Amino acid sequence: MTDFNALLRLLTEHGVEFIIVGGAAATAHGSARLTYDLDIVYGRSSDNLARIVNALAPIEPYLRGAPPGLPFDWSTETLKRGLNFTLITTLGPLDLLGEIVGGGGYERLCSETIEVEIGGVKCLCVNLERLIKVKRAAGRPKDFEVIAELERILDESS
Amino acid sequence: MSAMEPAKEKSGLDAVIEAYKKDVDVTLIRENLRLTVDQRFQRLMKLQKFAEELRRAGRKARSRK
Repeated sequence: MTDFNALLRLLTEHGVEFIIVGGAAATAHGSARLTYDLDIVYGRSSDNLARIVNALAPIEPYLRGAPPGLPFDWSTETLKRGLNFTLITTLGPLDLLGEIVGGGGYERLCSETIEVEIGGVKCLCVNLERLIKVKRAAGRPKDFEVIAELERILDESS
Repeated sequence: MSAMEPAKEKSGLDAVIEAYKKDVDVTLIRENLRLTVDQRFQRLMKLQKFAEELRRAGRKARSRK
C-alpha cells in the first residue's frame, strides 16, 4: 500500500516545492480509479533538490524495477544529472518528474494548481483542466478511459 | 505532414474519448464529489489495501491447486 499521507507529510515538512500530478491528482479531483503511485512535478532549483534528498533519504529511495544491489547514489548530484525518476520507497512508489508533456516544469505548472489538504497537510495539485490537457498531450491509449472520466468530472463540477 | 494533420488527429482522439465517456459510471463520480479531497485519499488507500488482500487470497488459492 502507498502511504500517501506520510509521503506528502515528509515532502511538505522539508519544504519541498512540488505539485501532485497523474493518478493521485485524478483522485484529488474525484476519480474512482485505483492508483498505486504518487507522481509529483518538482522544482529543479539546487535548494529544492537538496530538500528532496534530505526528505526522502530516510525512506530509502531506489530505482523501481531495478535489480536489488545496483549502485544507486541518492544525492543532489544524481538528481541534477537526471530529470524523471521512477522510485520505490519504504512508503510506496514515488515518481519524481522534472517535466511532464503538456505541462512543463514546476514553475510553469504552478499557475495551474489548486491547494488541497491530504492527511492534515496542505499541498499543490494540478488543476482539473490542466490535468486533462496533460493526459491528452501524452496521448497514451491507457489514458483514454482516464480522460473520459476526468471530462465527466469536469461536466459534473460545472 | 500537412497543416491539417494535427487537427485530424485531435478530432480522432476526441471521438475515442467520447466513445469511452458513455461507459463512465457517473454515480461513482457523484459519490466521490460529495467527499473532501482528504476523504478521497483515505478511501483510495483502503481500496489499495483491499486489492492487495484479494491478490494475496488469489495467490494462496492458486498455490493449493
